[in-house]
Amino acid sequence: GASVRAPRITTKNLISIIFCEAVAIYGIITAIVFSAKLTNGENIREFTTSHYFTGYSLFWAGLTVGLSNVACGVAVGIAGSSTALSDAHDGTLFVRVLITEIFGSVIGMFGLIVGLIISGSVDDFS
Amino acid sequence: MGEDPIYSPFFGVMGATSAMVFSAMGAAYGTAKSGTGIAAMAVMRPEAIMKSMLPVIMAGIIAIYGVVVAVLIAGELTATGYTLFKGFVHLGAGLSVGLSGLAAGYAVGAVGDAGVRGTAQQPRLFVGMVLILIFAEVLGLYGLIVAIYLYAKK
Repeated sequence: GASVRAPRITTKNLISIIFCEAVAIYGIITAIVFSAKLTNGENIREFTTSHYFTGYSLFWAGLTVGLSNVACGVAVGIAGSSTALSDAHDGTLFVRVLITEIFGSVIGMFGLIVGLIISGSVDDFS
Repeated sequence: MGEDPIYSPFFGVMGATSAMVFSAMGAAYGTAKSGTGIAAMAVMRPEAIMKSMLPVIMAGIIAIYGVVVAVLIAGELTATGYTLFKGFVHLGAGLSVGLSGLAAGYAVGAVGDAGVRGTAQQPRLFVGMVLILIFAEVLGLYGLIVAIYLYAKK
């Protein structure tokens, strides 16, 4: 919307889009890392505590990464929109207001770290 | 008979998740709300931007409280030897820091937004905004204290 009046801001403010993309990439990383632990369990006769623990850990670690990145994405989106609007008004403000977006995206990274720590030491289903 | 229930890690990991997720939601609201305030006042007074980053930093600190408790809980998770008591205590610790972090983040966002917009017009408001932000931040700290106290229970 702001680029209707000030088209010069379009390329610089794609950075905000990329911050949001990083949130999705955290999700893909988590999915790939967890899917490596999902081995075929059809030969298991009796489920042990280790199997249940792996299941619980992967479930909640996935929810951790997912939901904290939802919050992070919303924050980055709102912050990015305000960054674009202030950039349209005055081009020198862009870098300084971008700092709020960086703080926002750090939240998603925290979620990824916690998710990987929760699921880090579990054994796969074998 | 001495076996721990097989579902006790469910609650423990849920505690780690709720610690991180709810404080992330609070921190995200705080960052976004005060970020819009900063961007709005930056067009009038660009020299005050760096000073006005304080609410955003405080919202980030709330997320750090959540990370700390989540990592502490995750460090104690094991497949065997994890009693139901431990699971519930960790769930309580995670919910404590998470939900109070959610509340603190909401407060930091609301205060930060109004405070930075007002500071742009009246610079003497800055000290008052800092005082109110400290009271808002301390809600998350109380949650962290209770969480650590619960976590350390045998």
